[in-house]
Amino acid sequence: MGDKKDVWQGTLALMVLKTLESMGPQHGYGLARRIEQTSGDLLQLNYGTLYPALLKLEQEGYVRSKWGISENNRRAKFYELTKAGQRQVSKAAAEWEQTTEILARFLTPAEGA
Amino acid sequence: MKSLPAQLRALWMRILGVLRPARADADFHAELESHIAMHTDDFVRAGLTPVEARRQALIRLGGVEQTRQAHRERRVLPQVESIVRDLAYGARSLRKNPTITAIAVLSIGLGIGANATIFSMISRFVLRPPPVGDPSTLLSLHTTRTGEPCCNDFSLPMFNDVREQARSFSGVAAYYELLPASIGGAGEPQRIWGQAVSTNFFGVTRVPLILGRGFIDGEERQPKVVLGAGLWQRRFNGDKDIVGKSVILSGRTFTVVGVASGLFHSIDQILYTEFWVPLGNAEQMAPGLSNQGSRDFHWLSVVGRMKSGVKRAEVTAEFKTLAYRLAKSYPKTDKDGGFAFEQAGTLPQNVRSTVFVFLTALGVAVALVLFIAGANVANLLFAQTAGRQGDMAVRLALGATRGRLQRQVLTESLLLGLGGGLLGIVLSLWSTSALSAFHIPAPVPLQFGIHVDWRVLIYSFVLSVLSGLLLGIGPAWAAARPSLAHALKGEDALARPGRRISFRNLLVIAQIGMSVVLLCLTGLSLRSLQTASHINIGFRSQNLLLMSVDPRVHGYTPERTVMFLTELQKRVTALPGVVSAIATDTAPLSGGGRSDAFQADDLLSRGKSEAGADLYMVTPGYFETMGIARIAGRDFGDETANGPKVAIVNRAFVDRIFGGENPLGRHVTGGGVTYEVIGVSGNTKSRTLGEEQRAVLYRSLQQSIAGDPALMGNTLVVRTAGNPATIKEAVRLQIHALDPAMAVFNEETMEEHVRTAFFLPHLAAALFGVFGAIGLVLATVGLYGVMSYAVSRRTREIGIRMAMGAQPGTVERLVLRQGFLLTLIAVGLGWPAAWMLAKLASSFLYGIQPHDIVTFVLVPPFLIAVSAIACWIPARRAASIDPMQALRTE
Repeated sequence: MGDKKDVWQGTLALMVLKTLESMGPQHGYGLARRIEQTSGDLLQLNYGTLYPALLKLEQEGYVRSKWGISENNRRAKFYELTKAGQRQVSKAAAEWEQTTEILARFLTPAEGA
Repeated sequence: MKSLPAQLRALWMRILGVLRPARADADFHAELESHIAMHTDDFVRAGLTPVEARRQALIRLGGVEQTRQAHRERRVLPQVESIVRDLAYGARSLRKNPTITAIAVLSIGLGIGANATIFSMISRFVLRPPPVGDPSTLLSLHTTRTGEPCCNDFSLPMFNDVREQARSFSGVAAYYELLPASIGGAGEPQRIWGQAVSTNFFGVTRVPLILGRGFIDGEERQPKVVLGAGLWQRRFNGDKDIVGKSVILSGRTFTVVGVASGLFHSIDQILYTEFWVPLGNAEQMAPGLSNQGSRDFHWLSVVGRMKSGVKRAEVTAEFKTLAYRLAKSYPKTDKDGGFAFEQAGTLPQNVRSTVFVFLTALGVAVALVLFIAGANVANLLFAQTAGRQGDMAVRLALGATRGRLQRQVLTESLLLGLGGGLLGIVLSLWSTSALSAFHIPAPVPLQFGIHVDWRVLIYSFVLSVLSGLLLGIGPAWAAARPSLAHALKGEDALARPGRRISFRNLLVIAQIGMSVVLLCLTGLSLRSLQTASHINIGFRSQNLLLMSVDPRVHGYTPERTVMFLTELQKRVTALPGVVSAIATDTAPLSGGGRSDAFQADDLLSRGKSEAGADLYMVTPGYFETMGIARIAGRDFGDETANGPKVAIVNRAFVDRIFGGENPLGRHVTGGGVTYEVIGVSGNTKSRTLGEEQRAVLYRSLQQSIAGDPALMGNTLVVRTAGNPATIKEAVRLQIHALDPAMAVFNEETMEEHVRTAFFLPHLAAALFGVFGAIGLVLATVGLYGVMSYAVSRRTREIGIRMAMGAQPGTVERLVLRQGFLLTLIAVGLGWPAAWMLAKLASSFLYGIQPHDIVTFVLVPPFLIAVSAIACWIPARRAASIDPMQALRTE
């Protein structure tokens, strides 16, 4: 598993928000699986780290949670985006794209040289 | 990704998270369980055994406990949580040592209670602004004269000049401080006091009104009145429709225009006045205002409201030019004149320094009490730390940081401080109400109540936090530095080898030294009370009844007043149980009174300077009734109002004005009146107990009442055969038989009256007595604690000594000697300090010097005796140590 990447600090929140945006309400376990799948199994995610991140988003008012029933008939806590969360996804995504673009300009010529 | 509102929201949620940890924890536990169950289901579907599936799910999760911990740390603020944990831990360990905790809280509580009590006096008399609108821009104005002590009141023309010309003020108002009146209407007529004010008074001061309005322009001479809230409640049952109704003041009808706030009694916050009338009514209501329009008759207090943005320096500058201008226009009266001002509501100039010195002395005393209490607690905490060093060392060895241990010890002492603060506030609530019961010797009502207000609460809180922290610093420092090797072996790890005087010993020395100072102050005040009770007041206070009436405010002419008093005297003397009855203006020891400068006419040419003398008006028989010796000459007889004025003078008067020569038949002049001296009486205390003997001149009431009507009314003095209190009703009936509308006031027996005169020595003795006792007890407990600790630490050493053949007596002396040494050092340091501080006390001492020999000689041996007792108990314990036991314990 040496080539799997740890999740960078701070990026996990954006992944969670983006996933919730595309999937709609989801429980923690489902979110973790989906993030792994989306990354093409490149990310090595300790599922436990997801929960403090979700709590932080909830405290910041971007997601809310309530108990519900999973597809397999188990009680689970479901998370969904709030209005503020929806705004935050687009804002954070735009910021992130800009950052990577800037960074790419530094990295590309260095590789070419 | 950061947005401020979101972050604040998160912070708030985390703070809330501290409050209900259990529910959130259970909730997350359930969420994790469901996560693991779902993951396990998936693994089972993939073909693993249930057991293996669950194992894999847990591995992918990264551990249940780790996850829960991470979640918990995110849920709350770890810092807040650890403070809460420290507090809980601190409270628990304080509960485990209830005795130490109780002593500590009690000590700090007494210390802070004493400080809060004195601070509530400071808050009341120094810090509290008057209950007017925006007190910071309201100034009290005074006039000054070069070469005379500050300050004087304004004359009416001067007030008008300032009111019209001063540009720094948006308004300038004047008031006549004290107006006697009787109020009629329902119920028995009552004596009340009020003020006469310029019509803009309520506008300038912005005194809040409950009902109605203040006065308006054009009402200067009209019979309008603003009532105080207390009077309105008392006499009119808080009638909401009182505005527009009439009230009878001193027989005249006034229309009520407003009711003032219940907080307001006077700008100076000392006088307790209850009604306000326009200034034009003053002359009719108060005696002696006939020349109120004169430029050299200073009778008005003045306040000015500064315009916004005006600085005090500008006021000073403007007053300077104004004084210059007035001096030019009115050279006869205003030359050398000037103005002074201060924040309205500050203590009157004449009492300010006395009050400050008294409060400073008390402040020093309570600071000492708090320090002694603090030293006690610090000592206790040290002892406790010493007992816990094993625990601390283990925690250090296990990896706790020193900072963590220090914080915990500090938290505990902070809790002690806060607990003590709470107790202190409770104590000060009680003490302030006890102090408010002291009566000030004055014939007018004063407001001297003190309360625990918000300033006192803040002060006490800050004081308790500070003392909590200060007390904890030492033990915290020590706790975090046990010498590990010693502690883990169960030995004393705080004892540093080779140190002869430990920090704890220093604390005890400081404690005892301070109680020497405190005890000297206490001794001085007790001695002062003792001497005061032996002061010869010059008259017999037993079996005398005092009762005052003021016929003048009921519209009586001087002639009618004399007739009324003569008739009353006759009727009262006829009552069973009455020996004699006379009338005077003011009873002696009333705190103040009339006085004038006097000169002997025939000595004038010889260049003798004049001397001040107090003036009393009396009817024949005064001296016999009061029990004052008549030494020479005759008593008053049937002097007529228009006949030549006669006077009886006391011995001090003879000494000062006649140089001790026989005064009979000679003439003296004072206040523009010449009297022939017809008699000499013995000396009495005139105004206060503590005064130097004053010269007194007695006038015939009949002759002088017209020319000099008394502001305070007239007092009937009745000598009775038995208990004077029992005939009060009968005398009152006689007054009302003569005039049912006559208000009766200041009813008391002479003994009550004299007791009130003991106000200052009583107050000082009560306060310093209590503080001294607290300080002594605390210091004794401190010494006892240190000696016990020393004995317990030296148990083994003493055991060895005794095993080697030392006698119990020798051991006892060993311990006693150490205690004595500490006490002697402390007394050696404290005594000179007390000697230097004693000067502070001089302003409230009666008949003794600040360096009173008795006090300063008695305090050291007394303290040494008390500390001997404190040391004796541990010494006995040391002597009874069983050597075998002592050696085996370690």
